[in-house]
Amino acid sequence: MNLVLARIDDRFIHGQVTVGWGQRLRPDLILLANDEIAGDPWQARIYASTVPPDVSVQVLSLQEAAATVLDPASDFAHHERVFLLTGSPSDMHALVAMGVPLERINVGGMHFDSGKQEMLPSVYVDRDDLVVFRTLLRRGVRLAAQAVPGGRETLLDDGLLAAMEARL
Amino acid sequence: MIQALVLTHGAIGAELVRVVELILGPTEGLRAETNQGRSAREMTEIVSAWVSELGPDPHGVVFIDDYGGSCANAARLGGTEAANIPVVSGINLTMLLAMVTWRDELEPAELVQRVVDQGRKAVTVVGGAR
Repeated sequence: MNLVLARIDDRFIHGQVTVGWGQRLRPDLILLANDEIAGDPWQARIYASTVPPDVSVQVLSLQEAAATVLDPASDFAHHERVFLLTGSPSDMHALVAMGVPLERINVGGMHFDSGKQEMLPSVYVDRDDLVVFRTLLRRGVRLAAQAVPGGRETLLDDGLLAAMEARL
Repeated sequence: MIQALVLTHGAIGAELVRVVELILGPTEGLRAETNQGRSAREMTEIVSAWVSELGPDPHGVVFIDDYGGSCANAARLGGTEAANIPVVSGINLTMLLAMVTWRDELEPAELVQRVVDQGRKAVTVVGGAR
């Protein structure tokens, strides 16, 4: 299995994913790792139904997703262009902690929620998010916010995180 | 009266509702919401709240601008199935005008079919090129 993008996006599977990045990266599998949606076949079906017919979709729990990515004999091992998606930094970090080797993570959409403040357009964070980002940086993961291909890319580095921490 | 929630990307829904009122005058029961700046959860909550406001015997329809995406997901996840509220994609001005024009005369299922038929008719080459 080969990953073409690992993205954090709290809208999960939507236009920026299927049309924006999808047309650019041509994924052959969208792997959505989310415990709640994986545990609710109705929700999983709705998210899966918005994907173009030539792209496979799997909605798996975090644990199942990590196991699937790491298992060279999994049913999905033949996929060469996998788009890995989580809804939050903590979920993406959970995959990394379970051994999923990610060199870079695309921070796509983290929209406003109670207790969160704007760090970048479409990236709202709280202290917990910043702790997770720092942990990922320490592991050597490159974090970059970019909503769509060709759009502005902003690195989430120590300086940006420190500036944000001071504001929270 | 059958109510409509127009849930779209950007300002499409708000502008459609504004223009319908420019054409037909002040119109009740049309609500526009955007996906802009909103998480999937917040959008789904907006749909759920709107469905709840319709009351125990809900008469409503949700219009979205594109078949797949955050608006479609939220419209379907926000309790429309349980309330038997149709979710119709591809909203255009003709459809919203038809909805308001016919909503007092047709049953909900007939109204939705009429709106979809009118909307499809409106998507056509009307001239210019031979």
